[in-house]
Amino acid sequence: MADLTEAQVQALAQALALPMTPEDTTEVTHRLNAFIEALAPLAELSMDAPEAASAPVDPDAD
Amino acid sequence: MPPVSDDTVFLSAARQAVLIRDKQLSPVELVRAYLERIDRFDGRLRAYITVCREAALAEAQRAETAVMRGETLGPLHGVTYAVKDQFATRGIRTTAGSRLMADHVPDHDATVITRLTGAGGILLGKLNLTEFALGGTIEFPFGQPRNPWNTEHDTGGSSAGSGAAVAAALCGVSLGEDTGGSVRSPASWCGVVGHRPTWGLVSRHGCVPLAWSLDQPGPIGRSVEDCALLLGLIAGHDPHDALTAHRPVPDYVRALAEGVRGLRVGVIRELTSGPETDPEVRDAVTAAAGALGRLGATVDEVSLPILPRAGAAFMALCDSEGAARHLPWLRTRAAEYDRGTRRRLLSAALVPAVFLHRAQQARALVREQLRAALVQHDVLVAPTGHRPAPAIAAYNAAITSKAEAISRFFTRRSFTTPAALAGLPAMAVPCGFSSTALPLSLQIIGRRFEDATVLRVGHAYEQTTEWHRRRPPL
Repeated sequence: MADLTEAQVQALAQALALPMTPEDTTEVTHRLNAFIEALAPLAELSMDAPEAASAPVDPDAD
Repeated sequence: MPPVSDDTVFLSAARQAVLIRDKQLSPVELVRAYLERIDRFDGRLRAYITVCREAALAEAQRAETAVMRGETLGPLHGVTYAVKDQFATRGIRTTAGSRLMADHVPDHDATVITRLTGAGGILLGKLNLTEFALGGTIEFPFGQPRNPWNTEHDTGGSSAGSGAAVAAALCGVSLGEDTGGSVRSPASWCGVVGHRPTWGLVSRHGCVPLAWSLDQPGPIGRSVEDCALLLGLIAGHDPHDALTAHRPVPDYVRALAEGVRGLRVGVIRELTSGPETDPEVRDAVTAAAGALGRLGATVDEVSLPILPRAGAAFMALCDSEGAARHLPWLRTRAAEYDRGTRRRLLSAALVPAVFLHRAQQARALVREQLRAALVQHDVLVAPTGHRPAPAIAAYNAAITSKAEAISRFFTRRSFTTPAALAGLPAMAVPCGFSSTALPLSLQIIGRRFEDATVLRVGHAYEQTTEWHRRRPPL
C-alpha cells in the first residue's frame, strides 16, 4: 500500500472538520503512514482462534 | 523527636510510618523537610504542578496531635504522598497537565485520594504529567519535568512528576496512572519502583480518563514494600467504578516475605534479547533473572512472537479512544494543545477503522500468548524499556519520517504495553545503572489478580541489591 500524501491527509482531516496547520499535516502524515505500515502485517497473522474483544474482560470473571 | 535528616526523607514510606507511630518522627517536621526539598530542587525538576503547602502542614499538625494522644492510627498515618495531576482533588485544581484544564477545580476527590487520606496519608501536592496522560508532550505547560539522575534527560511518562518526585525524595510515596506504561516507564527511568495493578483491581473514579479498557492507577515508591503498602490501601471494589472487581484484597505487605523458591520465571526473549534492546539493558535483566535463580526460582526463556507488534496495536487502540474523547476540543481549541499531543491525537483520529479492528485482534493475540506463557510460568520478566532515559532534546525533536515515527513511538511501547493490553499486573524494579549512570529496570509480569506474586518476586530480588538505596546526584 502506497504511503498517504500530505494532500490526502489534509483532505481526510477536513472531512472530519479537524483543523491542521501545515506543520501538523507534515508530521501527522508521517505518523499516520507509520500506523498503517505497522498495523498492515497484522492481517497476515492467524486470527482464527481468538475473537477480537470489543470490550475488556469482566474483572470478576476468571 | 529527632530532627529530620536527608536520610529520613529517603526512607521508605513504610519505615517512616513505623517511626511516626513510635513517636520517633514528627509528621510536621517531615512535611517541612519535604517542602524545603521542593523549594530547593523542584525549580529545576518541575515534578510538581501544585504544592499543597498550608493544607499539608495543617494536616501534619493534626496527625502529630493524634500520635501524641495515643489515638488509633491508619497504616499511612503522617506519611506524605503526592499524586499525578490526573486525579480529582476536592478544592485543588486538577489540570491533567493541560492549559485546557488549567483552572479546573473539582468538587470531589477521586476514590484513590479518599482511600489514601483515609489511611492517614498527607497530600503534599499534584504532580506533573504529559498532557492528558497521553505521552509525547513537547512543551509542558507547567514546566519540563527532568530526571533527577541527569536533568538533561527525560523522566519517562506519562506519570513524569510521580517518578521524579519519588526518586528525588520530594515526597514519601506517589500515585500515578498506567494506561500503557505510564507508571512503569517513569519508575524505570527514574530508578524507583512502579506497579501497574491488574486491570479492574483499582478504581478509576475521579481519574481523568485516557482509554477506559486500559487505564489503571498504580503506586510509585522507593521500595517494593511501599508499592505493596499503597496497593493494599487503594485496591478493592468501588461502587463508583462498576468495572472494579469484587474480590477480597490480599495483604500485599505480608505476602512479600514468601520468597521465590519454587516459582517458575520466564524471561521473554523478544524483549530481553531483541535487536532494539540496549546491550547494557539486556545484561542487567539477564543478571537479575540469574539472581532470581540463585534465590530458588526456576528460570528459563520464553518466546512470545506477537509482542514486538504490541506497541502499534496499543497506540492505535488507546489513541483512537483518546481522539474520540477529545474530538470536540480538537475541532474548537486545537491550538491550545501542546503540538506533540495534538499531532498524536490527530493521527489517531484518521486511522482507518479496518486497521483498528486488526489492532483489536492483535490485542486478543497478545492476551492469548501472555496467558499461555503464564500457565507454564508464575511470572514473566523482561526489561521495562529497551534503553535508559534518553536526552530531552532528542525525545522532543520533530518527526521527519515514517521510519522515525515507527522507531520512536512503537518500538519502546512494545515493552510495557503487552501487560496493559492483557489486563495483567506488571511492576518495574531497579536492576542496575548504565555506563552513563542512568537507571536500568526489570519488569515483572504476573497473572490476573496475582499482584501479590509480582510484588513478592520484586521484593525478593530488590533485597539482594543496593540499586534502590542509591540517591540521585542533586
